Amino acid sequence: MAESEYYDINIPPQIKKLGNYMSTIIIGVVILILGYLTIFQVNPEEVGVITRFGSFNRVVEPGLNFKVPIMEKVEIVPVQRQLKEEFGFRTTQAGVQTRYSQQDFSKESLMLTGDLNLANVEWVVQYRIMDPYKYLYEVRNPRNSLRDITESSMREVVGDHTVNEVLTVGRTEVASKAHEMIQRLANEYSTGINVEQVVLQDVNPPGPVKDAFNKVNEAQQQKETLINEAKSAYNKVIPRARGQAQETIQKAEGYAIERVNNSQGEVARFNELYDEYIEAPAVTKQRIYLETMVNFIPKLGNKIITDQEGNGVLPLLQMQMKKQSLPSSASSSSPSQN
Amino acid sequence: MKNFKTIISVVIVAVLVAVALDGMFIVNEKQQAVITQFGRPVGDAIQEPGLKFKIPFIQKVHLFDSRYLEWDGDPNQVPTKDKKFIFVDTFARWQITDPLQFFKRMGTERSAQSRLDDILDGETRDQVANHDLEEVVRSSNRQPMSAGAIVEIVEDTLSRITVGRDSIQKIIQIRGNEKAAELGVKVHDFRIKRINYVEDVRQQVYERMRSERNRIADKFISEGQGEASRINGQKEKELQQIRSEAFRKAEEIKGDADAKAAAIYNRAYNKSSQSRELYRFTKTMDAYEKTVDQNTSLILSTNSDFYQYIQDITK
Repeated sequence: MAESEYYDINIPPQIKKLGNYMSTIIIGVVILILGYLTIFQVNPEEVGVITRFGSFNRVVEPGLNFKVPIMEKVEIVPVQRQLKEEFGFRTTQAGVQTRYSQQDFSKESLMLTGDLNLANVEWVVQYRIMDPYKYLYEVRNPRNSLRDITESSMREVVGDHTVNEVLTVGRTEVASKAHEMIQRLANEYSTGINVEQVVLQDVNPPGPVKDAFNKVNEAQQQKETLINEAKSAYNKVIPRARGQAQETIQKAEGYAIERVNNSQGEVARFNELYDEYIEAPAVTKQRIYLETMVNFIPKLGNKIITDQEGNGVLPLLQMQMKKQSLPSSASSSSPSQN
Repeated sequence: MKNFKTIISVVIVAVLVAVALDGMFIVNEKQQAVITQFGRPVGDAIQEPGLKFKIPFIQKVHLFDSRYLEWDGDPNQVPTKDKKFIFVDTFARWQITDPLQFFKRMGTERSAQSRLDDILDGETRDQVANHDLEEVVRSSNRQPMSAGAIVEIVEDTLSRITVGRDSIQKIIQIRGNEKAAELGVKVHDFRIKRINYVEDVRQQVYERMRSERNRIADKFISEGQGEASRINGQKEKELQQIRSEAFRKAEEIKGDADAKAAAIYNRAYNKSSQSRELYRFTKTMDAYEKTVDQNTSLILSTNSDFYQYIQDITK
């Protein structure tokens, strides 16, 4: 009783007035709640799966939709969205410059190849939910199932290839075989998932052997370099030698032409002379002798003409030789006297 | 009195509502149910989703998942038949196929997981220990694609296998199902997720890979050096060939010219005794002129042909 009095005293007239509309307010709130429970929105990339009393009833398309409150429940599944699972690495922040987690995911990426070597394989699976019913009701945790299937498949495929194949020529084959296998298993598991793409990212030899693999590449480069250097040395020498050979031959040909021409010239001259000589051998001979002497005698340094009776020619000759050599010997000996 | 009646009727309605509510239950698409009466299951299991009824309070509902459920094996360290120590990480998908049996034998999912651990881990260990590592890793006898320079050096071959990963997985699944049949569950699929070497073995494998790559690198360098030497040798050979051929040709040309010249000279000079005499004479005259210079002294007697007239003009 005391409490009601308390209210009587304190309730302001506005609220009291509100009390008169109480029933209206309650009805309004109930309508709002019912509306909230009835109307729901499905975004463009999603569908809504509706169950009535827990049993699957229908799938609704994007837009504004209705359901019976309490009796029906809706679960939203993003069927149009392309979803992605990463293996061996994690994107922490996608963007212009995507950042990757620094954590070590080698547990996922390190795998055995068919020749019992090891390779580090990083890859991505892109998928969509094709069958929302299966996705929701036939497998618990379908995303986890997909991850398990994918890891198992990738390892099985890589386990059937050699390390060389995985690292080089076999990349596309590995990806396509894995794709095929993942899809097959995803169907077997009734995940309702459609695998759109399996993309191999970095495929590397494991860290500790990377150096050795790089060394092979370097060696391949070195091989090319060695061969190129040898070829360049070859090209530096051989064309020049060919030219020099040509030079030698040309010179010889020059010599040959000169030799023949000279001989022909000399012979022509001789023949001319010979024709004249035949006419008058003695005179011609005499003439040539005298002409030669005229040319010949002036070239000589010392000319001594002796009488056929004069026998003391030698002392005279010695004296003259001395006189000639004296000035030069005197000048050469003077520095030593000083 | 009127108040009392009202209270009584409200209580009766509440009890009726409670009874009605307890008599109804929903089994959704993800579930299946078993109904028990005083702890003992009655009737068939409910595997269809929807609104269901039972005797209120007396009967109880036990809900179980109806979907494919996960099972993830413990990464086991197991030696293979060829004594290689590896970690084997496995997974499986299973389902409660007989909820009644499952309720009797297992009761909860957790105890089922634990039973599956025992069964599947044990089978895995058995099977891995009974096969060589390659049988567990590989699944077919495909031929490796032989391409690229590296393949020529290390034989890129895959050894033959007889069983293969698929069969081993299948065997484990079948054996697991045999043992799990009485539990009301079915293993739909069993797979090896990861196989990795234990640390010691891994280091050995790295060592082997390194030495293999070193072998390849050495081969490349040696090939390069060999090819360079070959080119160098070819260079030397061609050089000598070019030079000697040029020399030979030049000498031939010169010799030919010499011979031609000699023939020309001979034809002219050797015509007759007179031509021979003239040749001897003119050549001697040429030689006189060519063999003297300023330093030559000549003592000539007046007896000589040239100066004889100095002495005696009458001669």
